[in-house]
Amino acid sequence: MTRKRALSPHVRTVLAVLLDARDAWSHGYELARLADIKSGTLYPLLIRLAAQGYLEAEWQQPTEGGRPPRHVYRLTASGVELARAHPPAQPAMPVRSAREVTP
Amino acid sequence: MKASRRRILADLVCHVLQAILPASLRPWGWAIRCETTGIKDDTRALLFALDSLRGLLPQAVVTHLLHCVASLTGHAAPFGGGSITMSIHDHMMRRPRAVGIACAVGGVALGLVYMAIAGAPGLYLGMNVGALMVGLAALALLGRLNIDGRYWQGGAFLVTAAALLATALFGTKVDGAARWVHLGGLSIQPSLILLPVMLVAFAQNRNALMTAGMMAAIMAMALQPDRAMAGMAALGLTTLAMRRPDRHTIPACLGGVAGLALTLARADTLPAAPYVEQIFYTSFATNAVAGMAVVGGAALLLVPAIVGWLHDPASRATYAVFGAVWGAAILAAALGNYPTPVVGYGGSAIIGYALCLLTLPRVASTGIGVQHHRRYREENMPIDGDLRVGMA
Repeated sequence: MTRKRALSPHVRTVLAVLLDARDAWSHGYELARLADIKSGTLYPLLIRLAAQGYLEAEWQQPTEGGRPPRHVYRLTASGVELARAHPPAQPAMPVRSAREVTP
Repeated sequence: MKASRRRILADLVCHVLQAILPASLRPWGWAIRCETTGIKDDTRALLFALDSLRGLLPQAVVTHLLHCVASLTGHAAPFGGGSITMSIHDHMMRRPRAVGIACAVGGVALGLVYMAIAGAPGLYLGMNVGALMVGLAALALLGRLNIDGRYWQGGAFLVTAAALLATALFGTKVDGAARWVHLGGLSIQPSLILLPVMLVAFAQNRNALMTAGMMAAIMAMALQPDRAMAGMAALGLTTLAMRRPDRHTIPACLGGVAGLALTLARADTLPAAPYVEQIFYTSFATNAVAGMAVVGGAALLLVPAIVGWLHDPASRATYAVFGAVWGAAILAAALGNYPTPVVGYGGSAIIGYALCLLTLPRVASTGIGVQHHRRYREENMPIDGDLRVGMA
């Protein structure tokens, strides 16, 4: 699969966050906080990445009782390649690790 | 505002988002709703929901609009429900003609807004709506014909040029300009209907007959005389000659420039007609909303060219000429007493724009990022009860 257009900084950042998570699933609010972007930017971007086969998504049942299920995401193999080929443009603003973010 | 009210408002926003999202994107609405419910802080939850609505609202509107357009043009299947991963961006990339139809509808609608605010007679609004229906019907009809254009376009160019020359010689004259014909009580400007489609078609196929037809059409514009349409031909053909210099485009370009020079050398004393010409200025004097409707509607006409240029590199010459043609019409309307296409009163430009969309590819030659289509099964989506429990 080839991508003809340059990736925006937001896409690169989200890809970096997802790459950092490796095989672990990430949810929307967590991604928005880690990538430091608003949900209105994040979801259209996730929709596009999923459409292009770079992202897989599934519903996860809650581990705690009384909590809603969550829609979670992780990179596919092609998504990992894309993320590696397109790191964030400004490494001076590092992406926060998932471990730094309180649940 | 109490925290609980913020939570209720956040859920209300999520409901609104789910209601407006098309079926293909609805699971994402569920995802956002669940995510919002999972955020402990009420204010953050509300902001999360509001921003999600802001981000997805344009996609939802465009998807619904494109769905309607695709139904009209017989391309409904790709928009069918269930395919969550077909994004709006991909739809727009892959169907330049459908984008053009959406822009035509949007341009006419914004024109109606302007005319309604400016106090134009109801008949004017009805005429523009009628012209749009005629144009879209012609587009739907002609768009379904699978005729190889190479064999009949030469003849069609000659017939079209003959019609334009006949208008110049025998058409209705106003202040020395002969640009109109009367048909069934309606005053029609054939050049606005026929010349744009000729110019963009010339960007795709060329032969000696078509070049001759193009030269004759340029001559007709010089004879009428019509600076706006001569300028459209000059700019369109110059753009084409720069992209595709060959033995057809270079003479046509030179002819177009000469035709424009001839019209500029002749006096053009036609006064501006209300709701048709000079409306870029008069609309803002009437009302800022009316002015923005006119500017927005005119800008919409160029969107198919921009979208096509960015996402369909194989047909860039076509999109460049399309943009130059309609950009010239808009520029002429801004500079002189010439019709403001599609947004102003006048059916010829609306029909001309719709017919011009015939020249845009139905499906773009590139399909970036649409290779993987995944489906979300409804049974995997959370039920409303889960959410209610979560919220509680």
